[in-house]
Amino acid sequence: MTSFHDQVIQILPKLRVQALSLTRNRSAAEDLVQDAVCNALAAQNSFIPGTNFSAWMHRILRNRFISDLRKRRETTDIDDVPAASFASNPTHEDSLALKDLSLALSRLPADQREALVMVVVQGMSYESLAEATGCAVGTAKSRVFRARRQLEAWMTGDLPANDKLRVKVSSLRALLDDRRRKGLKSDDLFTF
Amino acid sequence: MTGGEDGAADEPRQAQPSPENDNPFDIWLKRGLHQLFDDVANEPIPEELLRLIEEDRDDRSA
Repeated sequence: MTSFHDQVIQILPKLRVQALSLTRNRSAAEDLVQDAVCNALAAQNSFIPGTNFSAWMHRILRNRFISDLRKRRETTDIDDVPAASFASNPTHEDSLALKDLSLALSRLPADQREALVMVVVQGMSYESLAEATGCAVGTAKSRVFRARRQLEAWMTGDLPANDKLRVKVSSLRALLDDRRRKGLKSDDLFTF
Repeated sequence: MTGGEDGAADEPRQAQPSPENDNPFDIWLKRGLHQLFDDVANEPIPEELLRLIEEDRDDRSA
């Protein structure tokens, strides 16, 4: 039987992905994971062995994220965090499409972004997602569906010509092209 | 014992085919999301965090 602490260690990579999907910032994601682990260790007696540890742990992280937001601003919601880049690895530098995806992701509502990442990247079932995020299974499915279709609309250009995201993406593309021609790096462009 | 996406209880559900698997955009999206997030998942766990967990384990077993 896996101990509580072993389960915490095993789930850390998935918590990091969830944290990044919520915070959109690697440094903030690391802090969030650490805080969530502290909360989980303090509350470990409330975990009932045999129940869904993964959902319990993801829920703690999510609640911590929301709690931190509320502390920062009394009137806020889950989407009210500064945008930042997901992709900071230089190996992604050459992929404009990936940068576009990163930007589009940051524009999604946080609950949709989190749901999409947990299902697509983590391979989480809708049932587990629902349990981890405290919603109905239908809501979990709907969040993932809406996230996919919204991203598809944004990424394939199915948008009005004056759409702000398209304008921003176009200007970033132009800026990137210009910097590339001049041999300059462009990491700083994606830390908003 | 825990179930969830880490346990065997969820495996059959994950293996189910879904309409999204056939959509070219969804295939591209899955690949893109993995490129954005896999690095984070695969980074080494900070020593400080592991120490925190191990100290708590030791405290509770003492």
